[in-house]
Amino acid sequence: MKLSLDLSVVFPALVASRLLLALTNLPDALKHDHQLSSPLTSYLNLQEGIYLFKNGIDPYSGGIFRHSPLFLALFTTILPTSRTVASVIWTLCDAVGAWALVQIWRARQRVSQTSRDGLIAGAYLLNPYIFLSTLSLSTSPFENMLTLIAVMFAAQGNASPSLLAAALLLHLSLSSVVLLAPLILLLASSPVSQLASPRAFAKNGKNVAPLVAEFAAYAAILSLASTLVSGGWAWVPQTWGASLTLPDLTPNCGLWWYFFTEMFDHFRPFFLMVFSIHLLIYIAPVCIKFQYDPLYATFILLGILATFKPYPTMADPGLFLSMLAVFPEIYPYLRYPIVTTLLHLHAALLMPLFHHLWLNQGTANANFFYASTLVFACANGAALTDCVWAGLRIAIGEPQDGYVVVQE
Amino acid sequence: MFSRLLLLFLFSWIWGTLAATPSHEQIVGDFFNKNGASGGSTSNHTNNWAVLVCSSRYWFNYRHMANALGMYRTVKRLGIPDSNIILMLADDAACNARNRFPGSVYANPGRGLDLYGDNIEVDYRGYEVTVENFIRVLTGRMEPSVPRSKRLLSDASSNIFVYMTGHGGNEFLKFQDNEEISAFDIADAFEQMWQKKRYNEIFFMIDTCQANTMYSKFYSPNILATGSSKLDQNSYSYENDNDLGISVIDRFTHYVLEFMERINKTSHESMADLFAYYDPVKIHSDPGVRSDLFRRPLSEVRITDFLGGVAQVEVGEGVPVDSSAVAAAQEEDEWPLQGESPAVPPVLPVAEDTRERVGDLGGGWRGMRAWGGVLLIGGLVGWVGFRS
Repeated sequence: MKLSLDLSVVFPALVASRLLLALTNLPDALKHDHQLSSPLTSYLNLQEGIYLFKNGIDPYSGGIFRHSPLFLALFTTILPTSRTVASVIWTLCDAVGAWALVQIWRARQRVSQTSRDGLIAGAYLLNPYIFLSTLSLSTSPFENMLTLIAVMFAAQGNASPSLLAAALLLHLSLSSVVLLAPLILLLASSPVSQLASPRAFAKNGKNVAPLVAEFAAYAAILSLASTLVSGGWAWVPQTWGASLTLPDLTPNCGLWWYFFTEMFDHFRPFFLMVFSIHLLIYIAPVCIKFQYDPLYATFILLGILATFKPYPTMADPGLFLSMLAVFPEIYPYLRYPIVTTLLHLHAALLMPLFHHLWLNQGTANANFFYASTLVFACANGAALTDCVWAGLRIAIGEPQDGYVVVQE
Repeated sequence: MFSRLLLLFLFSWIWGTLAATPSHEQIVGDFFNKNGASGGSTSNHTNNWAVLVCSSRYWFNYRHMANALGMYRTVKRLGIPDSNIILMLADDAACNARNRFPGSVYANPGRGLDLYGDNIEVDYRGYEVTVENFIRVLTGRMEPSVPRSKRLLSDASSNIFVYMTGHGGNEFLKFQDNEEISAFDIADAFEQMWQKKRYNEIFFMIDTCQANTMYSKFYSPNILATGSSKLDQNSYSYENDNDLGISVIDRFTHYVLEFMERINKTSHESMADLFAYYDPVKIHSDPGVRSDLFRRPLSEVRITDFLGGVAQVEVGEGVPVDSSAVAAAQEEDEWPLQGESPAVPPVLPVAEDTRERVGDLGGGWRGMRAWGGVLLIGGLVGWVGFRS
C-alpha cells in the first residue's frame, strides 16, 4: 500500500503526534540541554524573566534574561504561563512553520498543491534537530517560524506581512539581519526556480528602497513597543548586545564560545568585530551570485547563519536541512551527500555524549565537546558548500560523456 | 569553765586547720612535683616539645632523613603528639625517582620498618628548611600568618628535645647545601628562649661530623647536650642497604634508637643509662655529653622527660559552674568572659525592602505597559493584514 503523502492526512497526524510527545515529561529532561537551547533562547531564562517582570523587578538588570521584551509582553498578557500550554504553543509554532514551508514549496513550483507536500511537512516536523528543540521549549522554534513566515510571504509576493515578520524576527535574533537582503530581493523578484538559467537580477516592478523603509519603520515601531514594555532602553544591550559582545559563554553547539573563553581581554573587541563582520561579509557575495534565484540565496544564507551565529541551537541547522526539501532540483548535483550525512550523524551523536562526559560525569573536558562541535560545524559547512556547488552546477547542465566540470 | 573549754577547743581547731592547710605556693608546687611522686626524677615540666631537624637534602643523604624520621617515630611512640613536634625535613627521599621502594624510608638494611608510612606530619619540608626558619621556630619570632602547626608554642614549663642531623664541621652545621648555622647561632637562640621563658629544660642531640663542637658554645641554663663525635672526628654511617644502594642510617643515631627501642611510655631509664650505652668502638667515634648547664643529676633525669610526652591526668570531682552565666551565654550565644557580664549583642535594624522598582512608575503600571506593548504589536499585525 503506497503511503499517502497527502498534506491533509500527513499534517494533522504529525502535529497530533508532536502534541502527544510534547505533553509527556520529555521537555523536563531536555530543557537544560545546552545544544538545544542557548542563553538567548533558554526556556528557564524565559521563565525567570517573566517571573521577575511580574514581581516588579526589571528582568534586564541582571544577566540572565536575554529574550526580547516582546516575549515579556506576550507571556504576561495574552499567553498563559503554564507548562502544558507552553508545550502546545511551541508545537503549534512548529506546525505553522511546517505549513509555511509547504507554502514556500508551492510558491516555488507555482502550483497550489503537489504530491510532495506531505514529504516537506514531514521533513520539517520530523527533523530531530527541530523537534527536539521544540520539545526542549527553547524559543528557537519561534525564530524558525518567523523566518519561514517571512520567506513564505515574500515568495507569495506579500511585502508588508513579510517585512513585518522579518522585523519581528530581528527583534528575536539580531543575527537575522543577514536575511534582510535576500528577502527584499525575493520580494522584488520571484521565487520560481531559476537555478538552471542564471541571468541578471530581474525585477518584478517593485522598488527596493520603499521595502527597506517599510522594514525600518516596522522595526522602529516594534522597538518602541519593546521599550514601552520593559520601561527603558536596558533591553537593547541585554538582547541585541548579547549577540555582539558575547557576555555569556555557556557552551552551545556553535563555534564562538570556546574561542572567547580562551581569549585575552585585550583581543576581545577585535575578535568580536571579526566574528560579527564575518557573518555580514557573506550577504553580498551570495546575493550577487544567486541574484537570479533569491530564494536559494535565502536558503544559503540560512545555512551560513546556522553555522556562524553567535548563539546557535540545533534548530538553526535544522531549519537549513529541512529547507533542503524545497530544492529537489539540486539533488542530482550534490557531490558528497553521504559524507555530509555521516558527519551530521557523527556530530549529533557525539555532542550530547561529550557534553555529558564533560559536565555531568567530569571525566572529559571542554576539548572533547568542542571537538564534536567542530565536527558539527564541519557537517554544516559541508552541507553548505555542497548546496552552493549544486546550485551553481545545475546551470551547466547534465553530465556529458567526455566532459568533466572542474572548478578553476 | 565550759566557755573556756569551748574557746580552747575553737582555738585549737582553728590553729589546726590553718596549720594543716597548705599554702597556695605549696599546692602549686605539689601539683607540679607530682612527676616525682613515685621517687624518680623531679622534673617540673608540664608539656613536651620536640624539634627534629634534618638539614640535608638529595638522595645520597637518605640516611639523614632516616635519622630524623627514626627519632620522630620514637618520639611519637613515647607519647609526644604531632601538634608538639616540629619536623623539618627536605623530604625528597621517599618519592625520589631513584627510590626503588617509593613512598617509604627505611632506617635499617633489610628494610624492616617503614618510617615514612602514611601517618607522618612534616612541618617544614623542602626549601622551607632554612637557618632562618629554624631560628624563628626556636625563638618564636614569626609573622602572624605562620600557622600554628609550624610554631614552637612552648612555655616556661616545657621540656624541649632538639635533634639535629646532617653534614657539619667545627662549630657549624650545613643547611641544604646552601647555608650554614653556627654553634653561636644556636647558643644565642637558646639564650633568647631562656630570656623569653620558652623552655624549662632542653635536651640537645646532634649527629654530624665533629658534632660535639656544636654544643660547646651554649651558655643558657638547663641545657643537656650530646653529640656523636668530637672535634676533628667524622661520624660514620651504619650500613648500606643493597637494594636501595645507599646507607640508610648513621651509627650514632642507630645505637641511640636501638637503646630507645627498649623504652616505652612508663620506663624509668635515665639519661645516665643512655650515655652509658654509648660505645665508641661500635659508633666509630667518640660521642660526648655536656651537662654542666644542667642542674639535675643525670641518673635522675628520665628519658621520657624529654622524648616522652607523659601527660598528667587528674581525676577530679565535678567543676562548679556559674549557672547564671551559662544560662545567659546560652541565651545570647556568647562565651561569658571571666568576671564580665555577658555583652548584649547589637540589634541590627531589619533592612526594609527598599529595592528600587526599576522602570516602574507605580504598582499597576507594569501590567499597563505589557498590555500597551501587546496592543501595539497586535495593531501592527492587524494593520498589515488588513492592508494586504
